Amino acid sequence: MEHRLREMAEAARRALREATNLDELEQARARYLGRSGILRDIQQGIRDLAKELRPQFGRLINETRAELEALLEARRKELEAGQSRLRAAESAIDVTLPGRAQHIAGRHPLLATLDDMLEIFLGLGYTIAEGPEVENNYYGFEALNYPPDHPAMDEQMTFYIADDVLLRSQTSTVQIRVMETQEPPVRVVVPGRCFRRDTLDATHSHTFYQLEGLCVDEGITMADLKGTLLAFARGMFGEEARVRFRPDFFPFTEPSAEFAVSCFACSGEGCRVCKGTGWIELGGSGMVDPNVLAGVGYDTERYTGFAFGVGVERFAMNRYGIPDMRLLYSGDMRMLRQF
Amino acid sequence: MRVPYSWLMEYLDTEVAAGELAEILTMGGLEVEEIIDWTSADGQATDQILITSVTSNRGDLLSMVGVARHAAALLGCALKLPDCSIPQTEQPVMGERDVEQGDTRITIDDLEGCPRYSALRITGVEVRPSPPWMAHRLEAAGLRPISNVVDATNYAMWELGQPLHAFDHRLIVQGHIIVRRAADGEKLVTIDGTMRELTSADLVIADPKGAVALAGVMGGRDTEMRDRTTDVLIESAHFAPTMIRRTAQRLGMSSEASYRFERHVDPNLTLPALARSAQLIAEIAGGSAAAPAIDVRAGEFTREPITLRPARTNHVLGTELSTDEQIELLQRLGFAVKPEKAEAPGGMETEWLRAYPDREQALERLTISVPTRRPDLEREIDLIEEIAIVHGYSNLPTTLPENTSGAGVRTRRQKLDQRVSEVMRGAGLCENVSFSMMGRRDLDFLCYPEDACEREALVLRDPAAENQELMRTTLLAGLLDAAQRNVRQRVEDVALFEIGRLFFGDGSALPDERHSLAALVMGSARTSTWNLPDEYEKMDFYWLKGVLEQLMRRLHIAGVSFERGEHPSLHPGRTAQVLIDGEPVGVVGEISPQVQEAYDLPEPACVLEIDLDAVLARARLLATYAPLPRLPAAIRDLALVLDDDDRHSATRVVEATRAAGGELLEHVEVFDVYADRERVGEGRKSVALRLSFRHPERTLTDEEVDEAMGRITQNLGSKLRAEVRTW
Repeated sequence: MEHRLREMAEAARRALREATNLDELEQARARYLGRSGILRDIQQGIRDLAKELRPQFGRLINETRAELEALLEARRKELEAGQSRLRAAESAIDVTLPGRAQHIAGRHPLLATLDDMLEIFLGLGYTIAEGPEVENNYYGFEALNYPPDHPAMDEQMTFYIADDVLLRSQTSTVQIRVMETQEPPVRVVVPGRCFRRDTLDATHSHTFYQLEGLCVDEGITMADLKGTLLAFARGMFGEEARVRFRPDFFPFTEPSAEFAVSCFACSGEGCRVCKGTGWIELGGSGMVDPNVLAGVGYDTERYTGFAFGVGVERFAMNRYGIPDMRLLYSGDMRMLRQF
Repeated sequence: MRVPYSWLMEYLDTEVAAGELAEILTMGGLEVEEIIDWTSADGQATDQILITSVTSNRGDLLSMVGVARHAAALLGCALKLPDCSIPQTEQPVMGERDVEQGDTRITIDDLEGCPRYSALRITGVEVRPSPPWMAHRLEAAGLRPISNVVDATNYAMWELGQPLHAFDHRLIVQGHIIVRRAADGEKLVTIDGTMRELTSADLVIADPKGAVALAGVMGGRDTEMRDRTTDVLIESAHFAPTMIRRTAQRLGMSSEASYRFERHVDPNLTLPALARSAQLIAEIAGGSAAAPAIDVRAGEFTREPITLRPARTNHVLGTELSTDEQIELLQRLGFAVKPEKAEAPGGMETEWLRAYPDREQALERLTISVPTRRPDLEREIDLIEEIAIVHGYSNLPTTLPENTSGAGVRTRRQKLDQRVSEVMRGAGLCENVSFSMMGRRDLDFLCYPEDACEREALVLRDPAAENQELMRTTLLAGLLDAAQRNVRQRVEDVALFEIGRLFFGDGSALPDERHSLAALVMGSARTSTWNLPDEYEKMDFYWLKGVLEQLMRRLHIAGVSFERGEHPSLHPGRTAQVLIDGEPVGVVGEISPQVQEAYDLPEPACVLEIDLDAVLARARLLATYAPLPRLPAAIRDLALVLDDDDRHSATRVVEATRAAGGELLEHVEVFDVYADRERVGEGRKSVALRLSFRHPERTLTDEEVDEAMGRITQNLGSKLRAEVRTW
């Protein structure tokens, strides 16, 4: 009896192990472990054994059944996994086909540049002000201390709609509007569109963006102007950036300074980007002229301030390597999708 | 201005290379744009030419001596100026309005336009070409050598900055010069051979017969120097800048003389310039003064001294310059400085001065006599700038101001503006930046009727380009232009939006500036479209409307609805008006075939344009949390067949459903629509709704839901003649 059990167990193990698919496994199970399988048959034979041998043999049968059932389960899992792998292979897709998402667009390079500039000044405690793009002579020139009929007005190349209606040629107009409605301390930056009668080409546009800054308080100095624009340059170009100030003339600032940043492409050694000078001119700046402060009713003895204006287009072009200013206004999807 | 290097160095008592000098001048406020290596036409002379760019406030730098003076201040070296003194024996004859001397008489009729007129008669000159040294210098300066006498006056102008004019004295009727306003319609042929028609705003030099020169701008042809002239009258006058500027601008002429007069010439330069030109004429053309010079003028030209507080210099610049240092810097500019001590501070003093750390310096005052060549210096602050320039901007300290104004934050509106851009970009539309101008052509392309408010656009007097003569009243023009450009580049998937200002007004006053949002889509929004059916691939009306709905949702605006709308540029059957709380705020639709053709687009683009100011006024930055439901909703589907027209639109169906649904009806969604003549009949459509019912506190019974469904079907039946279809 015992011998038969061992032989059967050995054959069952082999049959289970060698089943190559679930059908064969099922056949093996039925043959050895099924309701009318061999094991059952052996179990029936227990009645022929001596009474005292029966318990021992019964245990042996149970152990064998347990072992074979465990083996059966293990093999079933193996075969099932194999089969699902097979099924998966049949339903495989080409994972190298392109994704079909909807586009997500980036910020326009010009406005992204402006945003970065604004972030720096928000961090320095400035708020953002806006003002009209169409202005009158008072805000466009008079309040900015332009002497009547002065050649300085020619440089602005102003678009006129009527004698007293013009397109602002600089965001400085908003300085006046801000100060008219607010007492010092004033700290604002003004982003916005400006217009000059320039011919459209790779480096000029009649519509362009400026960022204006204005800081008026007690004890504001020209040294503060230098420090602020240095912080700005470092924010835009990194900690190694240096700034350079040289005298210039703007009717609404005194002293006035043109400011430049060390060329980020060559670190000041001179290259194509900076036309060999090592510097990239960014804009105009200076201490707010007392006439401007007096015009809005500020006490010019008590308050001093600085103002600056930077063009955004050239900044953006340098930053992204865009060679032609007209591209910025083209709406060309091939360009816009790059950002 | 062209500044020949070797000529300039004659005035400077120092050695400095051209490149280094250019750098020093540039950093000192006189920008040298470039240095040119120059060789004269005859190959006999070479030099380096500094090309300077002079700011409009510094007329005094428009001469060799002016540049030398500035360079000397920056370099801290001595000046070697030409001798322009007038011998004691030849002192000019002066007068206030009218002076006669020998055969010459000068009368100033308009002292405001011409506060000073000096003249010198030189006889016995022999007109011939200038010697090479003179011709070379003028050529280097960019002036065309003409003849010795004229060249001498031009040379003196380049050297000193005083424009001069040489008349043939015998051609001046009665030798009488009259400075007066032109008569309206008076004519003058200038030396360039052009007939000029003048107005009473123009100042002329005349003789008793008529105008002989356009004052400060250009001489007249009839009285100019001839080859056989021997008797010369040299004019050296001072004219009012604005008068010269207006005449030059009106006539569209700019000369070396008008350029200088517009920027102010030192009124005390008339006599030195006469002396210098006489010297040069004697040297190269022979001849001598026939009589002392005549000097007619309104009075003395002097300047009030300016008081400077050395403490204020430091207060404005952030420096710690001692008073002595400041005096030295001012003296280098050639200004006379007189130090004083103020009385002990009284109550008049302002706070900054009371708090000024250097008590000694706080009391010091400098009285500075500013020369008449510097009209730009009028106030303390002007002198502070001069100190800063000579001291060097690079030597000023670099600090950050103390923040006394608080945190920098964006306003609500600025945050909302950012969000609009984020939502649109997130939906796949690229941000367009287009010009603020458009043309009448665009309004025609967009089919705006004659009385459309879009046609009430501001008109530019002097447009920069064709089709840019108006300020835009719609962003659609810019977007359609961009679409057309893209199509021409064979880019047919276009998804653009723009946020920008529109301008409404008639130009008599400042316009109404409205912020607008517009978008244009065409083609596919997908990064790739393989195996996609068209309705998934194409950005059509419903795609763009979906974006707009998402935008409204992200702005937390409730009460948004859409109705069939009209717009001149859009397809009448495919246009929706966008409303918030019943107020129209914009439009979304498909462009009409006419507009599609005008812009030559391969397919009808869909566009939207909304009034951003109106929309953002109703927007909320922050959403309020609504509690999540605790119990599941009961979902019922309802299929209806009803007429297919605007009175039975999806919105009407949903409204009628909601009206009858009661409080338990939480949500209604249209999930299937079709119009199939075979299945639902002519002029009818099938609309399938999914309704969800929920009670916040308890599970609904079937009876409750059935009852609500009954009310709904009854209402739909009676209001919309909708039949419930069985599945």
